Amino acid sequence: MQTLFKDVLLLFQFIVGIFEGTRKLFVPKKAYSWQTLIYLSFYSWGLSLLAVGYVQIIIAFLGWLFLIAGTAWYTTDDPLRVPGTFMPVGAVITGFLVSTFAFGHPEDVITPRTVVLWPTISGIITAIPEFIEGTETKTTAKIPKPEVREKIIVLVASCMLISCWIQFYFVMDNWLTQYPTLLTDNFDRSSFVVRIAEAETTEKNRIPENGVNILDGIQIKVEQQLNKTPWSQVERWLLDATNEVSNLGNQVINQKLGEYEESKLWSTDGRVADIPSGYRLDLLSIWLGPSSDPKGYFLQKSCRIEPIAVSTRTPVSLGQVAVKNTVAEIECDRLSKFIADEVPARR
Amino acid sequence: MLGLENLTTPKILPLGAVLFGFLFLLTAIPIEAYVLNQRLKFDKKTSTFYAISINLLSSTIGWVIFFLLEPVLPLNLKSELISYIFFNTFRSEASQGVIIFTAFTIFFFTFFMKFFLLRFLILSLKEDWINIYTKTPDNSRLKWRVTSIARLQNTNLVTSILIANSLSYSVITIIIFLSRK
Repeated sequence: MQTLFKDVLLLFQFIVGIFEGTRKLFVPKKAYSWQTLIYLSFYSWGLSLLAVGYVQIIIAFLGWLFLIAGTAWYTTDDPLRVPGTFMPVGAVITGFLVSTFAFGHPEDVITPRTVVLWPTISGIITAIPEFIEGTETKTTAKIPKPEVREKIIVLVASCMLISCWIQFYFVMDNWLTQYPTLLTDNFDRSSFVVRIAEAETTEKNRIPENGVNILDGIQIKVEQQLNKTPWSQVERWLLDATNEVSNLGNQVINQKLGEYEESKLWSTDGRVADIPSGYRLDLLSIWLGPSSDPKGYFLQKSCRIEPIAVSTRTPVSLGQVAVKNTVAEIECDRLSKFIADEVPARR
Repeated sequence: MLGLENLTTPKILPLGAVLFGFLFLLTAIPIEAYVLNQRLKFDKKTSTFYAISINLLSSTIGWVIFFLLEPVLPLNLKSELISYIFFNTFRSEASQGVIIFTAFTIFFFTFFMKFFLLRFLILSLKEDWINIYTKTPDNSRLKWRVTSIARLQNTNLVTSILIANSLSYSVITIIIFLSRK
């Protein structure tokens, strides 16, 4: 019985301890403390929701300032340092807030710039107290001692280098959005990058979507031009097929890939071959950009062009003659083939 | 630079690039610290500090220049750059010359940068910053001696930095050749 009572008492004391701690954290001892600033920032945030226009912007701005000042104060009270450096964790948090405040947008709060400049700003924030001398009430600027200067220079330089590495990530990420075809390739040979979202390397994934789009676009245009046109005209077109196809291809590329930088790395070509029933036209979209295979790759879509006879009755006279007109019919494969090889020679 | 796209979930990470950068710093710093210690007679701690800071700062400046140049590169060079970083190959044979030229430029550029950074750092560690310029000796002969000592130190600085930079670049080049897959 006695032990149970003791346990309950202990538990009670424990809970009271937690409560006391929480109260100490939330209720400031005096008005001049960091909690006041944090509360002010919440207050400003609430107010800014009610206000509109530039008043809202000003109040939100003040809210940010209060939040930054509050966290900065709290974290300098009790510096827990990042392992291996003299940088307080607080400076990292304050740095993040400053960076978000300076480079964030209302719509997306955290931008790449925020992340990139975060380490640098944190480093600078760590260094600032070394340039200030004095007690809490009276401060003057000072130049730190040489040993401290050494520490500051190394710290800020390392932070800037980390910022550069983060920026490099964003540069590469930008490449992947501007050159989406790169994503279909495999990055195993690279000594600089590691792929996280490992794509299943099936044949289907290997086919770059933009190349397929180009071929589909050309197919439509070629069908429009050749279907139901007189056979002699079609044969003339086919004689100059490479030029005709790359002209059409350029139109399609400008129209479909204009927004990507990779549009200049695609080229198109046509190859004509004789088959017993007529001609076969191979449409090619060729990737000229970076590829893990030094030979490169291209996509191919084959179309068969055959002559068909269309009889038109011409009401000339009584002795009606069925004039036979030969026109072309074109039929293309539904899917594009992916070929990892050099482009076949022109004939 | 900097203002790129919105944040998305990462598809690739430049893990290798960061590790290589770190490895290069780890090789360059001891070598350069040793050279500075031996030739310029700084004590061990100071020369380590100088080596760390000139390497960190010069690689930062190098990255910034890369970020400034990258968007304005012509398409074929950019394509080769991407090809090298993502696939470790080059598309065309002609790139060999460009690479050698770039390597030369980088070497001499880092050399100049390290030299100026070191001079700046030596200045920045002086005990009394403000008094350096106010206390110039009146005696012209003394002045001449001071400047000639400074000039001597300067040439010594240049050769030391050149040796340090060459040594560290040679080691880094060997590492790059060894790490080729």
